[in-house]
Amino acid sequence: MTFSMKRMYAIFLKDLKDLSKNMFITSSMLMPLLIAVLYSRMDELSIDMIYLVINLSFSTIGVFVQSAIIAEEKEKNTLRGLMLSPATILEIFGGKSLVTFLLTLLTIILSARLIDYEPSSISLIAIALIISSVFYIGLGTLMGLLTKSVVEASVITLPIIFLFGFSTLLQTLINTYPILSFIEYLPNVQLAELAKEVQLGAGIEDIWGYLAIILVWGIGIWLLTTWFYKKKETAG
Amino acid sequence: MEHIIQVKSLAKIYGNQAALEDVNFTVEKGKTFGFLGPSGAGKTTTIKILTGQLLQTSGEATVFGKPASSLNKPQYRREFGVITDNSGLYSRLSIEDNLNLYCQLYQVSTKRIGEVLEMVSLSEERKKQVAKLSKGMFQRVILARALLHKPALLFLDEPTSALDPANSALIHQGLRELNKEGTTIFLTTHDMNEAENICDRVAFLHQGRIQLLDQPKKLRRQFAEASVCIELKDGREINVPAGPEGAKDIYDYFASDQVVSIHSNEPTLGDIFVELTGRKLV
Ligand SMILES: Nc1ncnc2c1ncn2[C@@H]1O[C@H](COP(=O)(O)OP(=O)(O)O)[C@@H](O)[C@H]1O
Ligand SMILES: [Mg+2]
Repeated sequence: MTFSMKRMYAIFLKDLKDLSKNMFITSSMLMPLLIAVLYSRMDELSIDMIYLVINLSFSTIGVFVQSAIIAEEKEKNTLRGLMLSPATILEIFGGKSLVTFLLTLLTIILSARLIDYEPSSISLIAIALIISSVFYIGLGTLMGLLTKSVVEASVITLPIIFLFGFSTLLQTLINTYPILSFIEYLPNVQLAELAKEVQLGAGIEDIWGYLAIILVWGIGIWLLTTWFYKKKETAG
Repeated sequence: MEHIIQVKSLAKIYGNQAALEDVNFTVEKGKTFGFLGPSGAGKTTTIKILTGQLLQTSGEATVFGKPASSLNKPQYRREFGVITDNSGLYSRLSIEDNLNLYCQLYQVSTKRIGEVLEMVSLSEERKKQVAKLSKGMFQRVILARALLHKPALLFLDEPTSALDPANSALIHQGLRELNKEGTTIFLTTHDMNEAENICDRVAFLHQGRIQLLDQPKKLRRQFAEASVCIELKDGREINVPAGPEGAKDIYDYFASDQVVSIHSNEPTLGDIFVELTGRKLV
């Protein structure tokens, strides 16, 4: 299988142009930014609160925006055109994820600025954020493939936005309801825990466990997404 | 003759409903082959199987000598172009932006955009947003897109079903030109005139089976009544046997200067379809 940077870039440019004309989707960027503005008026922000904003950026943009642009390709029958072209799955998803990836990072950087978040180690946090975005964008891609329209995608991603956006807050419930202990292993919770350690001066040797768990989530979701896409390819 | 498409005992069953049963045909290089049938006959299913978008339940379908299911490999996709009844475009982008993407995907020069738009008479609309196109224009852009990479084989699923006669004629003309340049065309339609106009051979598909397959001309002759119709100046229309037994009558009508016109009683493909299946082509 060959990989063409040119083809991936063409899909990326197309999506960039298309998104710039799509208010419905670009306006969803505002949600995490609005919360960041609200939080910026408070004095002491805990890491949990900071990561509520960051995880919300992941779920609204990485998951929702990505699912909406994939679902729209299905709704408008353009995904089939890409599938029938010489573009490979890597080029198609690479191109389509790149826009979402840049938008997600942009939103996170803007929100971090708004709430004055200064990680003790920028590079460790950057690695963690990039690995996290692989997971969220994979999840968004899968959601887009599972739905038939943008409207459907917005409905089915709502609980996901809630789960990954706010579940750091649910952690306090684990003691009362042990059944919820799986929450600890969610990638958003792992990310927040990782950030707390980094803030206390941890190095890469202390946090690789968190990174590994987030990475496993990312690999798992992309395997599932690829399997589902391949199935769709010959399903008429 | 080189067979570009070869189909043997092809069957497709959805759940417990058969959409195709024991379908057999071949398409020769450089020809235009028509699949004629009413809606639900199995035309789209056949195209999807031939382009690797759907797996058959049983039987063989080869394209360019390879199993059709291998056509979904990126390296074969340059060889063919497809229009199905649900081909789409990016509606917020212009015609040019849409075609530009496909130039990059197929790695052809963007100069081709001007050429294909010329072919479908849309040169003026190049910068127009797709959302603002009429149905006919939209369909022509879809065709233009399928032609960008000059495919050797073109699959067209009811390419003119949404178009008025003027737009259909434009597309027919374009298809005849492509065919002259050597493109093999596999076309489905429920429009018998379309089949008659541009196809070298047609297959009648009904309830998932091929009922008849031949050149349109031969089919019409095969089903023609052996008579000619003579229209007389007094308004009468008289059927006269086309053999020697009718020769004297024909001579007499001409000799007595009563004839307005004389024509054969060849049926249209639509007539033949109704005779064969008891069903109209809709
Ligand atoms: N995905 C599907 N699932 C179940 N039945 C289907 C599906 N696609 C088509 N069919 C059925 O198969 C038959 C042939 O359909 P199709 O190939 O679309 O016909 P045509 O294109 O000639 O109108 C129809 O009876 C249709 O209802
Ligand atoms: Mg059809």
